[in-house]
Amino acid sequence: MHKLSRTNRDKLQQFVSITGASEKSALQALKASDWQIEAAFDVFYSQPQPKSNDPYSDMILAEGVSVLCSELQVEPQDIVTLVLSWHMNAATACEFSKEEFCGGLLALGIDSIGKLQEKLSFMRSELKDEQKFYEIYNFAFGWAKEKGQKSLALDTAIGMWQLLFAEREWPLVNHWCDFLQDRHNKAISKDTWAQLLEFARTVNPMLSNYDAEGAWPYLIDEFVEYLYDKSVVEK
Amino acid sequence: MSSSQSREPITIEDGIKLIDAAVTKLTRIIEGKPEPPFLPEEYIGNYTIVYNMCIQKPPHDSSGPLYEKYGAILQAYDKLTILPSIMEKHDEYMLRELSRWWEINKIMVRWLSHFFYYLDRYYIARNGIPSLTVVGMTCFRDHVYEKVHFNVKQVVIALIHKEREGQQIDRALLKNVLDLFVQNGMGNMERYEKDFEDFFLTETNSYYSRKASRWIQEDSCPEYMIKAEESLKKEKERVSHYLHSDTEPKLVANVQTNLLVSVAKQLLEKENSGCSALLRDDKTDDLSRMYRLYHAIPEGLEPVAVAFRLHVTAEGNSLIKQAEDAATSGIVEEQVLVRKIIDLHDKYMAYVTDCFQNHTLFHKSLKEAFEIFCNKKVAGSSSAEMLATFCDNLFKKAANDKSNDDSTIESTIDNVVKLLDYISDKDLFAEFYRKKLARRLLFGKFSDDHERSILTKLKGQFGGQFTSKMEGMVTDMQLGKDQQTGFEEYLKNANTGKPKGIDFTVTVLTTGFWPSYKTSDLNLPLEMVNCIESFKAHYEIKTNHRRLMWIYSLGNCNLTARFDAKPIELIVSTYQAAVLCAFNHTERLTYQELIDQLNLSHEDLVRVLHSLSCAKYKFLKKEPASKTISKTDSFEFNSKFTDKMRRIKVPLPPVDDRKKVVEDVDKDRRYAIDASLVRIMKSRKVLPHQQLVSECVEQLSRMFKPDIKMIKKRIEDLISRDYLERDTENPNTFKYVA
Repeated sequence: MHKLSRTNRDKLQQFVSITGASEKSALQALKASDWQIEAAFDVFYSQPQPKSNDPYSDMILAEGVSVLCSELQVEPQDIVTLVLSWHMNAATACEFSKEEFCGGLLALGIDSIGKLQEKLSFMRSELKDEQKFYEIYNFAFGWAKEKGQKSLALDTAIGMWQLLFAEREWPLVNHWCDFLQDRHNKAISKDTWAQLLEFARTVNPMLSNYDAEGAWPYLIDEFVEYLYDKSVVEK
Repeated sequence: MSSSQSREPITIEDGIKLIDAAVTKLTRIIEGKPEPPFLPEEYIGNYTIVYNMCIQKPPHDSSGPLYEKYGAILQAYDKLTILPSIMEKHDEYMLRELSRWWEINKIMVRWLSHFFYYLDRYYIARNGIPSLTVVGMTCFRDHVYEKVHFNVKQVVIALIHKEREGQQIDRALLKNVLDLFVQNGMGNMERYEKDFEDFFLTETNSYYSRKASRWIQEDSCPEYMIKAEESLKKEKERVSHYLHSDTEPKLVANVQTNLLVSVAKQLLEKENSGCSALLRDDKTDDLSRMYRLYHAIPEGLEPVAVAFRLHVTAEGNSLIKQAEDAATSGIVEEQVLVRKIIDLHDKYMAYVTDCFQNHTLFHKSLKEAFEIFCNKKVAGSSSAEMLATFCDNLFKKAANDKSNDDSTIESTIDNVVKLLDYISDKDLFAEFYRKKLARRLLFGKFSDDHERSILTKLKGQFGGQFTSKMEGMVTDMQLGKDQQTGFEEYLKNANTGKPKGIDFTVTVLTTGFWPSYKTSDLNLPLEMVNCIESFKAHYEIKTNHRRLMWIYSLGNCNLTARFDAKPIELIVSTYQAAVLCAFNHTERLTYQELIDQLNLSHEDLVRVLHSLSCAKYKFLKKEPASKTISKTDSFEFNSKFTDKMRRIKVPLPPVDDRKKVVEDVDKDRRYAIDASLVRIMKSRKVLPHQQLVSECVEQLSRMFKPDIKMIKKRIEDLISRDYLERDTENPNTFKYVA
């Protein structure tokens, strides 16, 4: 073992925690790229990896994600991580598989942390695009729910909604979250999630164009009743 | 006929002279003046003149001039003789004159045609000109009719008015005159219509419009209707007496419009005598009249049907309210209420068939009315439940009281089936009925005939699926009898004899048909266990692969209790028997000991002990002697008990399972909705939300009225289970996922 400088040791640790690679391969990659982390990633990922028994060895996990976030100088709860995950088509929140990570970066044309950081403001702006927001919103359901569950836990859902509708103003979002905690207290189905966006997009806050005979999910009908009950909206 | 003799041709002048003479004679005859009739030679002679003049060789062939002469004769007669005579007269006399001259003219034309007949055969046919008869009629029309018809019409209408006001008139005269109008149309009805009918109808219109305004103010509805009916009758008579039959429909429409249509609202809504009042006061004759009058008018019956519906609904609602009020004092009187509703139905169905001639509009009104109040709840009981209870009581009573007339039972059953049609939650009725049927069957209080009869009728009305389980239950009882015989044979043959000398009857129920019952792990007294075992042995010989599940909660038992004073036979449920038998071996038992020994649930044991120690008959002494059972109580056989009866029945009050029934039905409904939705989507593949919901409601309406919210929830459930998905373009539409 060479004697590593402080900075290099940090880089090594960083590399390991982000990639989950063994110290040995990490060292190799870093050396090969002259201790440039970004390049090291390239090197690392372009090499055939030794098979390991650890199913998570090809994945970036929660720890790695938080390291990545601090590198990018964003909070882990920042919505831009969602956008990034969408680009990578990540299956679950706070996890990236090797294919997802590399594939996503490739598609974005990013090969360094710096470039990634620059791309962040672009990603934020994507949320303003109608079509992209629609895709990101719907992607978020599958991404945010627990693996193996069909529905999204209420707390997570509320958190996601708060986050998403902060970008895309919907005046009724707080009432919606209150209503859910007050009257529903169960998980959110995929259909309800998807239809809520439709509701937010098409029905105006005064509910004047709400069609009670329409195919809105039961929960949304209940929400409308709730709004009338609480005199938030006049019937 | 002279043939070879050559004759002098007859000149026109001569011929005309001869003809004129003949005409003069003819005129005198037909006018009734003294004149000898034509002799046959004279008659033939006249004909021959014409004949000869026609066949003469030119320039003496006189067909043309003769034809002209014929026309001239008639014209002169019309103008100079007929018309002046008519114009001299007025009023009825004018009519008579006209009528008289019309007849005369006809005769004149006929005779003259005979004289001039030869013209008809050749000259007229060859030249395509009007026949002699036509010329005659046309002449009269142009020179008489056209001049007088206006005045004649005035007179006729005046006479009709007189008759309308009650006076007698000469109907035959009017018939002749109007016939004349028709005939002067010469093949079509134009003269009659334009010169008479139009004016007549206008006059009729104003006449009845005046009458209507007066009557509607002065008369009550029934009185008005009588007058209206009378008027229509009279006008129809008028047609048969002297008007042409073509006038009838126009006349009737006219009178109806004025007397019935324009005042309909006022008439039917008359306070104290209008439609609702008549219904209220059971004035069936007046209602029948109302139907007769308004039936002929398009959409005339609608307001009557509406009034009918409102009235029946109000009556029904008040029955419901009465029952509600009675219920607040604690008693829900299903028998009374259902009977009253049945009577109401019979009463108003009679109205529909008699007064309203079975018209579909009124059937519909009756149905709608009943559907409104038959689905109301009374004191928390749904109508479905009440009807089931009604049937239960009916059959229980009938089974006990054999003197009851079968036909009244049958007609009541028919009424029940009719009422069920109006109830929307039919599946709820079926469930309650099934539960009660089970109790009836198992406790022996039933008549096979009656039970089968109602099931057959229900099947006929609502389909086999509705009654299949219940039929299965009744059949089970039948089979049960045979089985019991088989079991007794077995006991005899197997030389085991009666287990411990106990008479033992088992009823085997097919699980799917009967309501679900909880089993319990009751520890039976030994004697009973032996019975069970011996039956099991027998049953296993008879059948393979069938599991027997024993439901002790439904059984009953006859025990002899040896009290000090005298032994009394007790008829109790199996649970109660088990508790009592526990005291065969010990005098005293605590609650805890009983629980341990018998392995009953606390709920059940409390109920049983209450019925044996705190109710009417206290077979067990309880310490402390409070009104309720507590877990620290202890019990002792009450040997001092006695009663004048030798047999006492101790009923165990049944647990109220209304909530459970409603829950079960709700669950079944969810499955039914799911199945219906999938069925619809499978066949339609793509369907908008509204249509899916309405088709689903329709499919299920035979059994119950599905809640729209429930349907929505089921749709969402099916989406999450990947049976359906929303169309990406249009989220209001669903697609079937294969």
